[in-house]
Amino acid sequence: MDTLSFLFDGFQTALQPHNLLFAFIGVLIGTAVGVLPGIGPMSGVALLIPVTASMTSGLSPEQAAASSIILLAGVYYGAMYGGSTTSILLNTPGESSSVVTTLDGYQMARQGRAGAALAIAAIGSFVAGIVSLIGLVLLAEPLSNVALKFGPAEYFSLMLLGLAAVSGLAGKSMTKAWIMTVFGLLLSTIGLDNVSGVARFTYNISYLYGGLEFLTVAVGLFALGEVFKSILHNEMNSGEIAKIGRVLPTKADLKESAGPIARGSLLGFFIGVLPGAGATLASFFSYILEKKVSKHPEKFGQGTIAGVAAPESANNGASGGAMIPLLTLGIPGSGTTAILMGALIMYNVQPGPLLFDEHPAVAWGLIASMFIGNVMLLILNMPLVKVFAKIIQTPTKYLLPLIIAISVFGVYAVQVTTFDVFLLLAFGLLGYWLAEHDYPLAPLVLGLVLGPMIENNMRRALTASNGDYLVFFEKPISLVLLVIAFLWIAVPFVMKLRGKSVVINEDM
Amino acid sequence: MNKTADRIAAVAFLAVGALFMVESLRISKSAYGSAVGPNVFPFLLGLVLVLLSIKLLFETRNYSGATGEKLPRQYKKFLVIFIAAIFYAALLETVGYVITTFLFLVIGFQTMEKGALWKSIAIAAGFSLGVYGLYVKLLQGTLPSWPIWFQ
Repeated sequence: MDTLSFLFDGFQTALQPHNLLFAFIGVLIGTAVGVLPGIGPMSGVALLIPVTASMTSGLSPEQAAASSIILLAGVYYGAMYGGSTTSILLNTPGESSSVVTTLDGYQMARQGRAGAALAIAAIGSFVAGIVSLIGLVLLAEPLSNVALKFGPAEYFSLMLLGLAAVSGLAGKSMTKAWIMTVFGLLLSTIGLDNVSGVARFTYNISYLYGGLEFLTVAVGLFALGEVFKSILHNEMNSGEIAKIGRVLPTKADLKESAGPIARGSLLGFFIGVLPGAGATLASFFSYILEKKVSKHPEKFGQGTIAGVAAPESANNGASGGAMIPLLTLGIPGSGTTAILMGALIMYNVQPGPLLFDEHPAVAWGLIASMFIGNVMLLILNMPLVKVFAKIIQTPTKYLLPLIIAISVFGVYAVQVTTFDVFLLLAFGLLGYWLAEHDYPLAPLVLGLVLGPMIENNMRRALTASNGDYLVFFEKPISLVLLVIAFLWIAVPFVMKLRGKSVVINEDM
Repeated sequence: MNKTADRIAAVAFLAVGALFMVESLRISKSAYGSAVGPNVFPFLLGLVLVLLSIKLLFETRNYSGATGEKLPRQYKKFLVIFIAAIFYAALLETVGYVITTFLFLVIGFQTMEKGALWKSIAIAAGFSLGVYGLYVKLLQGTLPSWPIWFQ
């Protein structure tokens, strides 16, 4: 049992005191990020990359990479966790993945059962986290072994499939999603060409030779874009916070939500593995499923505990499942995992099938820390729910300028040029404008991260075939992947033409 | 969906795509050891972006005229903070981190909501000095410290 011994090593990495501390800081900040309106998991993770970079500066490269990814992943699932708190207490979801939670969660809060709803959300998230962890351990090795047999042509097609999956499901208009993807890919070509060393689109600006820094773009688009939106739309937090009351759920509550939690976790996990589907769809589907399965479907929307347990388990299961394509194939399936991937690449750690061979400490350390993080979240969230509810009341007038200052600090600390700070502000404006007009931002970041790899694999495949473009269709695996990619785009398109409504993912 | 905004965006992306196509023609076509030069990938992408923009342009014709009610926007607040941020970035290296951050935050807090000046000053000072102390003194990071004419 190789996997078990690797997992054991992973626990040894994750249980080192400094990594425990990093995991703790990660989930703590993540929960706060999830609770605070205006900062989602994407901007939260992006904002913390420079902070972790400086915190881990004293460690060896491999250890630094492991520690920072542990912290950043902690932020990711901490935010998923925290997002439910505002849904239940304020009826305003912190993340789009907890929109469904408001339906029953807020009703429960109005009936004075907010504590039970919060506790069930925490327990459901914990169970889902464990389920996705087991799935990750079981699937990681076999999947990366398959991916190891891939050549450049197969890789190119696989990445196209990844882009097709994300763009096909993101946002209100597929054309817009594709424009953002291609725009991101184009931005990734700025800088020195990896293969030939030729400068492309740099116009003798020395800062551009290294390419557009991923961190600057991500923080600008997500964090600053959100802040600008909050200022322009005058989004002040208001509204009464519901009383929490008794936190521990009753036995009846637990019994009633056991089934929804189990189904939600599994469903969420499998939806999460699919690139592009993501946590929002997972929570949405699991709610519908529970309503269908339930003996009292009329209770949904009136404050039934199953309506909180199922979507909250599903969105956490999905965020765990999304780690699988990232770690084994090197293909991020969502905006947040794209940012995590960018962070790994900053540490010179390339996610993908070789990750488990080349950087076992990073890969298995991360998997083990997910378990530890989930335990911490459960311990943290049950007693501290009331403290986190207080965070909601942080005045926006202080919060927004502080986020700008943190963004500037983060970008300057890593890049040490004011050029990047200006770039950050420009991308902030762009991010606001694009999001305001329904252009999804996640495909842009995904294109930016995957661009260099897609290009390299395309050129390697074409070099091997002497410039024959048919090589992508001649290799069977590559052909299959391309056909799936094509269907992924074509099927919803045809369905739309026939006048059917297509479920889309709005958080991208 | 906003018709005007999408038309502007479509034209802008069309221009960006065309620019990348034209400019990629100026990149050297050959690369040693590779059958495909560094110009191919950006050229193809530029072409796709142009085609997608044209598609978007056509789609805007089908938008219904009603764009929904316009919500009030806080342009003044936003402009003050954004311009303050530009000055912040421009002066960061000459005036130093602590002073610029402090001033930016005070302006930002007061623009968001007038009043409670002392509280604003206290939070701004706490943040700028705190970050500087933690990052530069404790973690040995690099930030421009004080005004250059001061040292």
